Amino acid sequence: MTLQTQDTLAVSGAAICGLPTAVLDNLAARVRAGGLFLILLGKDGSPVYYDPQAALFFQRYVLPLLQYGDPTDPELIDRIQKLEINSPVTVWDSFPGVILAAFPLVDRRQLTGTMILAGRSVNFDLAEEVLRVCSRLGLDAAWLRQQAESLIAYNDDAIGRQARLVTGMLKDQLRLAGMDSELNSLSGHLSHAYEELSLIYQISGGMRINRPANDFFKQACLEVLEVTGVQGLGVALSGENTPGQEPVLYGSLSLPPGTVHRLAAQLIPLLKESKGPLLVNDLPNDKSFAWLAKNVHQLMAVPLQRQEIVLGCLFALNKPNGDFDSQDSKLLNSIANESAIYLENAMLFEDVHGLMMGLLHSLTSAVDAKDAYTCGHSERVALLARHLVIEAGLGEAFAERVYMTGLLHDVGKIGVSESVLQKTGRLTPEEFEQMKKHPAIGAKILQDIKQISDLIPGVLHHHERYDGQGYPANLIGENIPLMGRIICLADCFDAMTSNRTYRKALPLEVALTEIRRCSGTQFDPLLTEAFLRIGAEKFRQLLASNPGRVRQLGEHPQQNLRCA
Amino acid sequence: MAAKKILVADDESHILHVVSLKLRNAGFEVLTAADGLEALELAQTERPDLLITDYHMPQLSGLELCQKLKQDPATARIPAIMLTARGYQLDPKDTAESGILRMLSKPFSPRHLLTMVNEVLLEAAGGVLT
Repeated sequence: MTLQTQDTLAVSGAAICGLPTAVLDNLAARVRAGGLFLILLGKDGSPVYYDPQAALFFQRYVLPLLQYGDPTDPELIDRIQKLEINSPVTVWDSFPGVILAAFPLVDRRQLTGTMILAGRSVNFDLAEEVLRVCSRLGLDAAWLRQQAESLIAYNDDAIGRQARLVTGMLKDQLRLAGMDSELNSLSGHLSHAYEELSLIYQISGGMRINRPANDFFKQACLEVLEVTGVQGLGVALSGENTPGQEPVLYGSLSLPPGTVHRLAAQLIPLLKESKGPLLVNDLPNDKSFAWLAKNVHQLMAVPLQRQEIVLGCLFALNKPNGDFDSQDSKLLNSIANESAIYLENAMLFEDVHGLMMGLLHSLTSAVDAKDAYTCGHSERVALLARHLVIEAGLGEAFAERVYMTGLLHDVGKIGVSESVLQKTGRLTPEEFEQMKKHPAIGAKILQDIKQISDLIPGVLHHHERYDGQGYPANLIGENIPLMGRIICLADCFDAMTSNRTYRKALPLEVALTEIRRCSGTQFDPLLTEAFLRIGAEKFRQLLASNPGRVRQLGEHPQQNLRCA
Repeated sequence: MAAKKILVADDESHILHVVSLKLRNAGFEVLTAADGLEALELAQTERPDLLITDYHMPQLSGLELCQKLKQDPATARIPAIMLTARGYQLDPKDTAESGILRMLSKPFSPRHLLTMVNEVLLEAAGGVLT
């Protein structure tokens, strides 16, 4: 799953005798400028490259001589062939009217061919041999002489010097080409590093703690998939204290859930053991994973770990070109490290959140335990208030806070004596005064927990009335904190629809009519509207739900006991 | 159709290398400039189809470069992608007035830049740029 950069550009596509053709063309042009002809002989002695733009003298006369051999010196090519790795520039003038300088080409201590520079000899004239070659090649001798006269004439010494110059030039050219290709390869690596860096930035940007783990992993996997082009990328968590999620697989490769499960179950123990990346490139022949071979050919997995504890793993399946390598595992590891930090934080958050919710429920249970008749009341008020907030469009986050307020709104009843709470008849004025203290007692109980200080107004003011006739502060209308107005509605509605010590539950329709009737006097009219929009059907479900099990944050046996 | 010509200006040579490699591999013709003035001269003589420029450059900043190009009718229609430091924001008014169609903060993904280049060229061809 190397990032899809493929940003390495060879200096040139082809190479001849180990020399890139771009280098050869360049060299040939310089040699041409010096009035010479560049030819390369392969290891078998046949020309494998020559200057395509050379003068006609070279193309028509010299090249065929080299190709077919010189009748006056048939062994010349063989002698040139005998050059060895360390042979110096060697000069021959046995071709009629032509002078040659040759030296061996060496690549990684291997002889790869011979480079020849051919020049017009100072001794060129229309001697008998030249005429013979002309007639054999079908060349007009006068034309050939004309061609030759336009060229620089070389002697042994001059062409030898030129050839030595060319060997130096060749070395420089090769060094430059090497540097070019190195620069390209470095740029390719850099490009790769940029991709990786930007990927990590993107993923860590998504590490908001209050975001569900599934969301985070989905986004991270999709980013990685897009950048790497692997066919499948999955997440499996160990399930021990990790936010419970099923193993998932994203990407173009789709596997049945059972297969993903089995793979996850196999990977996690392996990674717990190794604590390092696992690469299986020849999957069909791997005895542990061959069962997957129908759809998967390559597998790579890295652990999600914090402080040596393996929380789960990320796994990649099927790399489109080539095998998974150390670069791939390095990338997946970086992603896994980021993800593990997120995961650990999410777990801590979950832990703290769970602890707090557990404590809230314990408090609620403590209140409910004082009065069997109000059993489940707090939980139902919490749920009703939550629905009201959502219906009123006040947002999910606020709904969560209101839910908690609902759970706690009657916590002050701990401070009210059971004889008052459980009295079947009408309360005396003194008893009513005692009852009226529960919002203030509740607020006092909660006042030192700063994490829930925002809930206190809801607890303190849930018995205020919109017309100012409520308690404890006789607040009017919008002066009553919003939380208080919300809980008030939910509280009264649940009270009406539950059996109480002093009366039977009212039918749902009657309760709803009563709510509507009290809009503007007891209740906030806008909230009442939203509340009634929830609808009778939904209310029936809400009231019937087993309050202890609504949120899977722990059960409350003592509460259920009392309910039974 | 001839390859689209893209001018890349940045005083950091590694950015030039990475970007031109990516764009050349994608079939674009790439010109590079190591500062704002060089980029301005190249833009005037070569008339690229697109400019990718860094914001912080010696001689002439990326924004000044774009503004100068905008003033000359011959180069006024060259769209630009501006590279900036992470978290650095340009005034939207400045960008809108100087033909800067996209911003990308460093370190950026070369793959992402290539996508952006294709988008911008398409937009420019579609006459979105007026």
